[in-house]
Amino acid sequence: MTSREMMHRSESAVSIELQTPDMTLNIGPQHPSTHGVLRLVAKVDGERIREVEPVIGYMHRGYEKLAEVRTYAQITALVNRIDWVSGFASEVPFILGVEKLMGVEAPERAQWIRLILSELARISSHLVFISSYPLELGATTPLMHSLREREYILELIEEVTGGRFHPNFNRVGGVKSAYGGGSTTKKQSMDLPAGFFKRTSEAMDRMDKICDDIDTLVTGNELIKMRTVGVGIIPPDKALEFGLSGPNLRASGVAYDLRKSDSYLTYDQVEFDVVSRPGGDCYDRYLVRLHEVRESVKIIRQAIDMIPSGPLQAKVPRVLKAPKGHVYSRAENPKGEFGYYIVSEGGKMPYRLKIRSTSFSNLTILPWILKGQLIPDLVAIMGSLDFVLGDVDR
Amino acid sequence: MSKSINFPFPGLFRGMGLTLKTMVKRAPVTMYPEVQEVPVPRARGVISLDVDNCTVCMLCARECPDWCIYIEGHKEEKGETKPGARMRTKNLLDRFDIDYGLCMYCGICVEVCPFDALFWTPEYEYSEPRVADLLHNKEKLTEWLATVPENPALES
Repeated sequence: MTSREMMHRSESAVSIELQTPDMTLNIGPQHPSTHGVLRLVAKVDGERIREVEPVIGYMHRGYEKLAEVRTYAQITALVNRIDWVSGFASEVPFILGVEKLMGVEAPERAQWIRLILSELARISSHLVFISSYPLELGATTPLMHSLREREYILELIEEVTGGRFHPNFNRVGGVKSAYGGGSTTKKQSMDLPAGFFKRTSEAMDRMDKICDDIDTLVTGNELIKMRTVGVGIIPPDKALEFGLSGPNLRASGVAYDLRKSDSYLTYDQVEFDVVSRPGGDCYDRYLVRLHEVRESVKIIRQAIDMIPSGPLQAKVPRVLKAPKGHVYSRAENPKGEFGYYIVSEGGKMPYRLKIRSTSFSNLTILPWILKGQLIPDLVAIMGSLDFVLGDVDR
Repeated sequence: MSKSINFPFPGLFRGMGLTLKTMVKRAPVTMYPEVQEVPVPRARGVISLDVDNCTVCMLCARECPDWCIYIEGHKEEKGETKPGARMRTKNLLDRFDIDYGLCMYCGICVEVCPFDALFWTPEYEYSEPRVADLLHNKEKLTEWLATVPENPALES
């Protein structure tokens, strides 16, 4: 080989296009925009995401296993910690399932109280989304406004149940009706406190106002629109394929709401619209939640007028034993379909409890939807799915 | 980013207007250490104990989902009885501790107590720098009994 040839070779080796390997970017588990401890292992090529793999399980608390060694009353105290943003809404499907298994039905007043409290939980959960989502996009002001209003909702829940986040108010055959009643003191009845309806309708007026304020701050803001319109589009067939539910599914144009289709509790007696949007992008998912707050306000206003008086608890045995059998019960959590599959072998405790948690199913679309997106859009898409990591890992 | 943005954006100024309006309003905040907030009567703040009512039946300790109640007791003879009769005994409470580091404030113990020995109170100022100090004994739990509120009036 001549020296001339060698020079030619080395030149040709340098002048070929350099192939750089994809960079692996770890996002989380301690990232503020992941709503807890979600770790995303993203393969990025420059600003584009090639593929992303969610790593979950950092907050696994083993609720399904814990439930196997606890009585039904104790599980009720546990399950409202699964999705802590809307504690009451995850109690309702469990207690409906146990009631179905045991063949008891709650009195009508108890059902209405459940309905009012789950709608209050829905408003509080959506207000958390409305406050945290613009924050993830860089706007801090809506957080202050909606968290301030959420406090009024939490106060209402606390006034009735005694707990702001973890109500633990549902009992098999009704709601918690009283405690005490022993040999020495009077019974402490747990019916709605006086003035509750008045304070609730005042709070509902505030909710109407905050929706208008959020419209001014977020909905009409051009910067928010630039970040969200047309970003992270989920077509309806893909949404159904991945098992999305709740506002995420309805933002893709599928008007599917368990409150309408299953009509559990007394949802068939109140009038409300199922909010759905055709677009399926982040902006639509935000709008669906904002409009659902308005619908919930409508439901609560009707419920206040329609709630009958009566007992809070049906007659149930003191030691709760479910007969042998299995049941699947579901309800519309603020985030989507929340279900429990309860298998009973006839004891005081369930043999097996499978939790179909909403956020876990909503999270499964993440690898598909993030493929090919820009890194700045990652936070926008992830935030718009509105998951809670306690609900994912349970 | 191909989208262009026109200045001035009207949405931004509308938002600024709302911020200005909110700025002159009073903030609905209780300045906590100076001003005490009064919780609602049903608030599950802390569990108080009425020692005289407790019969050491252990129901609360058994029903507690995370077993944070520690009870010890002993039996004592009740004194004089009829001649020839079996000696009557009475349960006395030696130790009643609740570990508030473990407690999840579900209220099952208060509900299952058949003799009304446990009560919820909205008291909330009992934080400790060490987790181990959250284990409160029966003297401390009895102190809180004074803060148990009256049952509030009910909506018909």
